[in-house]
Amino acid sequence: MNNIKNKFKKALKTINSNSQLKWGCILLCFIIIMIIITPFITKYSPYEISCDMLLPPNPDNILGTDGLGKDVFSMILYGARTSITIGLISALISGVIGTFIGGIAGFVGGKVDAVISEIINIFLMIPTFFLILMIVAIFGSSMFNVMLVLGLTSWPSNARLMRVEALSLKERTFVKSSIAIGESNWKILFNYIIPNGIYPIISNTTLSISGAILTEASLSFLGLGDPNIVSWGQMIFDGKSYMATAPWITTFSGLAILILVVSFYLIGDGLNVVLNPKLKNVNK
Amino acid sequence: MKKYVFRRLCTGFLAVAVVFVLNFFIIKAAPGSPVEILAGRDNPSQQLIDNLNEKYGFNQPLYIQLVKYVSNILKGDLGDSIIYNENILKIIMDKMGTSLLLTLTAIIFAVIIGTAAGLFSATHQRGIVDKVFTSTSYILNSMPSFWLAIMFIMVFATHLGWFPTSGYSDIRHTYTGIRHVLDVMHHLFLPVLTMTLLQLPIYFKIAKSSVIQVLSEDFITTFKATGMNKKKIYNKYVFRNAILPIITVFGISLAFVITGSVLVETVFSWPGTGRVMMNAIMNRDYPLIMGIYLILSLSISIMMLLVDLVYAYIDPRIRNSYK
Amino acid sequence: MSKILELKNVSIKYKSNKKEVLAADNISFSVEQGQSVGIVGESGSGKSTLAMGILRLLPENTSELTGEILFKGQDITKLSDEEFNALRWVELSVVFQKAMNTLSPIHKIGEQFLDIYRVHDTTSSNEEIFKNINEMLKLVNLNERVLKLYPHELSGGMLQRVSIALGLMHKPSLIVLDESTTALDVVTQGQILDEIKKLEQTLKMTRIMITHDMAVVASSCENVIVLYAGRLMEFGKVKDVIKNPKHPYTVGLLNSYPTLRGEKNNLKGIEGTLPDLSKRFAGCIFADRCPHSSEKCFKAVPKQKTLEDGRIISCYLYE
Repeated sequence: MNNIKNKFKKALKTINSNSQLKWGCILLCFIIIMIIITPFITKYSPYEISCDMLLPPNPDNILGTDGLGKDVFSMILYGARTSITIGLISALISGVIGTFIGGIAGFVGGKVDAVISEIINIFLMIPTFFLILMIVAIFGSSMFNVMLVLGLTSWPSNARLMRVEALSLKERTFVKSSIAIGESNWKILFNYIIPNGIYPIISNTTLSISGAILTEASLSFLGLGDPNIVSWGQMIFDGKSYMATAPWITTFSGLAILILVVSFYLIGDGLNVVLNPKLKNVNK
Repeated sequence: MKKYVFRRLCTGFLAVAVVFVLNFFIIKAAPGSPVEILAGRDNPSQQLIDNLNEKYGFNQPLYIQLVKYVSNILKGDLGDSIIYNENILKIIMDKMGTSLLLTLTAIIFAVIIGTAAGLFSATHQRGIVDKVFTSTSYILNSMPSFWLAIMFIMVFATHLGWFPTSGYSDIRHTYTGIRHVLDVMHHLFLPVLTMTLLQLPIYFKIAKSSVIQVLSEDFITTFKATGMNKKKIYNKYVFRNAILPIITVFGISLAFVITGSVLVETVFSWPGTGRVMMNAIMNRDYPLIMGIYLILSLSISIMMLLVDLVYAYIDPRIRNSYK
Repeated sequence: MSKILELKNVSIKYKSNKKEVLAADNISFSVEQGQSVGIVGESGSGKSTLAMGILRLLPENTSELTGEILFKGQDITKLSDEEFNALRWVELSVVFQKAMNTLSPIHKIGEQFLDIYRVHDTTSSNEEIFKNINEMLKLVNLNERVLKLYPHELSGGMLQRVSIALGLMHKPSLIVLDESTTALDVVTQGQILDEIKKLEQTLKMTRIMITHDMAVVASSCENVIVLYAGRLMEFGKVKDVIKNPKHPYTVGLLNSYPTLRGEKNNLKGIEGTLPDLSKRFAGCIFADRCPHSSEKCFKAVPKQKTLEDGRIISCYLYE
């Protein structure tokens, strides 16, 4: 118990030491709290259509209503769940694939590395946004598809980071000695290489959550989002038609995206500094 | 050096090939029969089906289809678009100019302003200006491009009426000469502003960190110790060393320049390749999608090669590692 | 003989994250013309900081230097940046630790030599300048071919010679060598030290050698300063100090080096570790590691005392 307490204290101190990390965490905590208490602070369902169309912000609908009379505030709150889910899961997919492929390339080396590096280079040259657009347009735009496609197209940057880490870890004594003892390659990869080389991936994955949230919003804005869920991109798209008469729809849903994305960017950048001892000294 | 160029060429070629095959299989895997998709109608005539089968070899094994597809393209025949009913290469060439005008202008502004701001922040770390620049860059970096575009239209076009809401030029008048140029510039302002602001953080961040990194190098201390004045150290040694990563990023954005920006072009109804692509995707105009994709990946490969060459020209270490 | 450099009560403070580190505390010594001095100490002893302080190369915002530094009788801490810049390289020069990074990686060596030469000579033609540079390169046994190359194309030893040639370019009267030979193998190190000693005589310059290696000082300097945790422990003639070290720290330091000749002694380290310099110490900074420390060592800092052989020492054992 005491141990956990100390660790928690240490984590808090680390977060406090870096202003990006601090502000990012504060913002994210705020968002998460809002998501948890959603059912208590809004009485409207985000799907509930009413006759009070295009109402400006008022005490009852604090952010106004949209063209179908839906409450913008509750749509934004429910939309946060969509954005966070899609961002987290797709970034996780890309992180896992990238770590695995990059780890193998760097650790095994030789021809395997040459081939994988070439594949990574090629993938980095492919215009991914168009690819995502095309796949989603052709194979359907369910939330599952969107998450999968986002994850499957963004792993190369993680793989590249992990490869570099694995290359340098391979030369370290503790890895060399376990090779000498005769431990299996898989064991070395999972016990030594990945746990010690994961730090850059963690910050990069946090940054890709931001990227995924923005891409998902863009897809929904282009009409390629999941039509069955509340999505901020979709709200902006719908609000565009009422730009002149009901600017609050677009304005507030855009601000919501901005706040969520900025919180992950701040955390990602902060983690990069905190977890990377080389940068730590530069920034002091 | 030759070996270096050769290697980059190989990667570029491979990338194009991968895109090629990827495209082919995505379309093959798409729900619905490819003939119907290519014909673009629900009930195509038998003659059309036969023609398409002849051209693409749909009733033959998969690898023959791929060969046919490749050989058609190598002949320079990208096919005709379904929705525009025109040769694909011609459509793309027609729209590329407008896209280039928008994206290139924005990127050039972004690289100049972003680098200057980054340089200033790096040399005035922790000052008020640095803090303002850095937080602005975080906010701009987190903005959805389409939202910023809509906000600008809402404020500067709809509300204040300073700029037109959309389009490339005023369709009610057909201006010529200098009036036409001014008219286009008037239409160009908001889209360029949006894209510039969105690209700024990239250059700001890279310029700032790169300058900070160079300033911490030992050779800077050497030059200071020799009594060389700050201006000379900055203008010649800091700048040349710090510019390398900026060039890489600049090159990569240049590579994507011909695609325009789907989102910004969509919001501003800017008639560029981005919107053609969007139309093609929305209407399942597969030949057009394939064509744009192909040209796009080709241009990216070429641009990347150029960037690498420029980089090798500036950085002797890279040049020599491939000797 | 005249004093070329004299330090009077020089202290250097680093400020980082609200902490203040006293990297050099009240250091005074003088360097005679032609009498090269070695500054020895462990890593973290403040020897490089002291050198950077003399050369006015400390980070501007985070450090503070107090005291007087007299160069040829003039207090250089009072000079403006412009006035100091005029002294740099012509009078006061330096060769840095990591030769690999001494020059910009993307400019040719010749171009950088020319730029640096031009800082203090705007009138000569390029041919004249390159004639001088080539001469300097010859002195350090380098072919003028290196001018057409980039730094990464040379070996570590060659680069070290390049940076020495660079430092000697304007025939300065005082040159600081900051661990300049540490990275080299022993043979190359010996060669370069011999060359430098010869150059000193031809160019009439005085050298301050910063190193952790007592052997380097023994073979190339007249005097030695022993620093510990930013404090001067002992100053004296190299011969005297090595034969008969007086300060307990010097004794400990010398005991941790092997000798080639003489009896076989067990090598001994010094117990304990360097103190945390962000804390204040009332007494002698070495006291808690010192085998001879007594109560008063912890209470007040011992005064610097000059012994009859010219040695300066700060220790209560000699009062």
